[in-house]
Amino acid sequence: MKRLAAVVALLGLATATACSSTDNKPAGGGSASGGLFTTIDVNRPGIDASAPANPYNPKGNAFPGYTTMKIGWVVNHLTDPNKALPGMAASWEIEPDNSAITLKLQPNAKWSDGKPVTAEDVKLSIALAYTQGSTAFAVTPGAAGAAAEVTVVDDKTIKITQDPANPSPKFARGVLDTTVLPSHVWSSAVPATIWDTIKTARGDGPEAEKAREEITALGQKVIAFAPPKDVAGGPFVLERVNPGEALLVKNKHFFNAANVAPSQVKFLNYTGNEQIWNYLTQGKLDHSGFVAAPTDVMNRIKAAPGSEVIKGYSPVAVSMAFNQSKKPYDNVHVRRGLAYLIDREQVTKVASPEGGTPATTTSGIHQKAAAAWIPDTLPKLEPYKADLAKAEEEFKTAGLTKKDGKWTLADGTPWKVSMHAPAGFSDWLSAQENIKSQLIKAGIDAEVVTTADYPVYLEELAAGKYDVGFWLIALGPAPYDIFQRLYGASNGWANVGGKIKHSPAGKSGNWMGSPEEIEVDGAKINPGELTAKLNSVGPDEAKPIMSQLAMAANQDLPVIQLWDYINNQFVNNSRFTGWPHDDEVLRLGTGVLPSGVWIQQGLVKAKQ
Amino acid sequence: MTVIARRLAGHLARGFVMILVVATISFFIVNNIPGDPVAARYEKLVEGGMSPEAAMQATKVMYGFLPSGSMGEQYVDYMSGLLRFDLGVSVTRPGTPVLDVLTDAAKWTVLPVLLGTLLSFLVGVILGVYAAIKRTGKLGDALAISGSLLHGIPQYVLAMLLVVIFATLIPILPHDGPVDILFEPGFNAGYLGSLAEHAVLPVATYALSAYGGWILAMKSSVVTVLGDDFILAAELRGMKRSIIFRYIARNAILPLFTILALSLGLLLGGAVFIEKIFNYPGLGLLLIDSITLRDYALMGGAFLLITVSVIVANIVADLFYTVIDPRVRSGEEAS
Repeated sequence: MKRLAAVVALLGLATATACSSTDNKPAGGGSASGGLFTTIDVNRPGIDASAPANPYNPKGNAFPGYTTMKIGWVVNHLTDPNKALPGMAASWEIEPDNSAITLKLQPNAKWSDGKPVTAEDVKLSIALAYTQGSTAFAVTPGAAGAAAEVTVVDDKTIKITQDPANPSPKFARGVLDTTVLPSHVWSSAVPATIWDTIKTARGDGPEAEKAREEITALGQKVIAFAPPKDVAGGPFVLERVNPGEALLVKNKHFFNAANVAPSQVKFLNYTGNEQIWNYLTQGKLDHSGFVAAPTDVMNRIKAAPGSEVIKGYSPVAVSMAFNQSKKPYDNVHVRRGLAYLIDREQVTKVASPEGGTPATTTSGIHQKAAAAWIPDTLPKLEPYKADLAKAEEEFKTAGLTKKDGKWTLADGTPWKVSMHAPAGFSDWLSAQENIKSQLIKAGIDAEVVTTADYPVYLEELAAGKYDVGFWLIALGPAPYDIFQRLYGASNGWANVGGKIKHSPAGKSGNWMGSPEEIEVDGAKINPGELTAKLNSVGPDEAKPIMSQLAMAANQDLPVIQLWDYINNQFVNNSRFTGWPHDDEVLRLGTGVLPSGVWIQQGLVKAKQ
Repeated sequence: MTVIARRLAGHLARGFVMILVVATISFFIVNNIPGDPVAARYEKLVEGGMSPEAAMQATKVMYGFLPSGSMGEQYVDYMSGLLRFDLGVSVTRPGTPVLDVLTDAAKWTVLPVLLGTLLSFLVGVILGVYAAIKRTGKLGDALAISGSLLHGIPQYVLAMLLVVIFATLIPILPHDGPVDILFEPGFNAGYLGSLAEHAVLPVATYALSAYGGWILAMKSSVVTVLGDDFILAAELRGMKRSIIFRYIARNAILPLFTILALSLGLLLGGAVFIEKIFNYPGLGLLLIDSITLRDYALMGGAFLLITVSVIVANIVADLFYTVIDPRVRSGEEAS
């Protein structure tokens, strides 16, 4: 018994010692002036301590908005894709015909090592962007909105002109959304001849092809590039990382450092939504981007002291997409029947009560953006309000028959709606379960099939293995980006060398299989060609095209728009205040951490 | 020593062949896992607001890190790299050798699992002996029940239970990561204290979940030994209870050493659920991450590392058994 007692005593002592360290105050913790700001990067689970401070590296320890800066921070505007907040550029001038943009850099901008930010830094950053693929800096033949010339005007001014061959109204957005990196650190990542290679790559022929391959190979080198230490242009600089957290400290050289409230920023690691929910319910995070949460979890998050959920516009909608190569989904009346049958309000209430609003109809555009772009067209669209009688009428028109309360196909074989969604997409799965119940109630056999994960889901969807799946649409704000989800590669239309080609259903990734031409208002239109046109026309020309496409989507229903997403931002008012509530700044460019931008703009204040 | 050396040589040769076979099998399994990682990345970029063309180019750059060539060529590359201890380059961590990624993660798995395993072994074995000796009393019953209970609770349930108790109801222990970043890394009290504090719950979960197995195995082994003639002889010779106790323990513990060695071999596999719940960045989490992102090189490397450690543990267990059990040694010498 003595040995047992000794072991128990030792265990107790070990636990007590470990527990006592909770009283230790971390060095430089929350006591520093301005305080510690705690957040997560919702775009990238899993902090990797060994990853370099490289914004192009998928696991890179670069935090856009906090440590890395873009030329400008493109905002979430309903109709203007070129609207942005100042970033490394204090201001810019866009030529009225979109042919060029002239950037004026922040006059006091410095890197965290004290060296000034110059136009040469921006030029090198543009060269780096070419290696990674960028809307404005692309060497792909026929790419819309590609830059032609990059000219350093003076130390703080740089002019970028657009290639007139295939101009795009969102050219300025592509330029502004470029990450700016210090040339004295990054110049070794690309050869000195990079601009010659880019010039050659933008041409035609075998030499250009070879140059393009060289640039792609350089892209791999850039992605793997590891700066010896983080030299940041943003309000913070990376201090250290461990596999569980990253610590940023204030960059005293940042041009707006006086208005940056926190003195330190801690990024917490997570591997799944559950951990984010835990952080939020415990009030640990000052800010987190949108994360889907069931109602009970959302209520617990809201109940945390200081917790607030800011709701705003999110240019994303979820839809039920059909594979029209499969019967009976090739028949538009079947799709319309389902649109009348499914009660979208009920689906949204079950699947995404906090994160979505039921789609008022299927237009291919988020309702808010639709109201801004095509207000006159909206009343003309069929709302497909839940109506069983209309649904049955459509099914009958399609040749379906109802026997013993069950709908069967025209040839008498049983009809089963088989819906697929990837595991872990809880809102999609809940929605499909609800739709299944609604269908079964109406006499249509239905099932929900869960796919192992998203990569498998996408592979099988593209291979045309599913009858019905869920698909994100309406990815704005640019009109082309919105409609290419319906009338792009997944539906057979692809840009090949600047020309739009259509592949038949089941070929080249065309899993939707819509017809190449659709009759809208008595006129035949090619939705893929019209969508591609949106990439090169201004807002005034875009509106009538968008109207046509919305009407095409509404009458032909390649998908049923179920709900429009809401951008939920989780903030905590216990330590910091001043959170913006403006739709435009709640969601910024690709991978950008909005709270970093709010902080650097001086919006976020330490609570007094 | 000759016997041990001969056994070692035989084991190493067999182990080498086994590793090659396992590497081959895991290569083909890993490379045939369904799912399109490039499409998933493209979708993620587009959903995040990137234009389709830019996303296409960005994913094209990533393609360069995926192995190219036919499956046969890739296999030859992989196996020849393996002979040079080169497991390839991670797709999700471009430019980083897989071996480096695995080494980084391994330290966060080995320490807590090793601690948990040894702690549970120690406590389980000691209490197992008591449970066997006192098997007709209340203490023996209580120990046996505690073993069965803890053995029956799945690791993830136990982990969540500890989180609820010590991180939510009585929030005295952290459950999110291996150490607080605010402490300067190094040999200082704050940092080491934070490391220890963060390790308490994962180690306790490992230890508690393994404890049940040890106590039950040890109890059963002791009960078997108690019926042996040499124990009866020792009692009849009037030997002290402490000496008899030592006889019992030394003989009963032999089979448990084999299990211990195999457990240590499996420790590199980590405990996926425990690492996930405690956000502990070990090999288990890395493996999940690599599967989710279809990082084939990393997946293959992780599988291989786990397999190699099990094979090595098998060899060590066998040799160790030869050393600690004179009956095995003398049997071999006789043959």
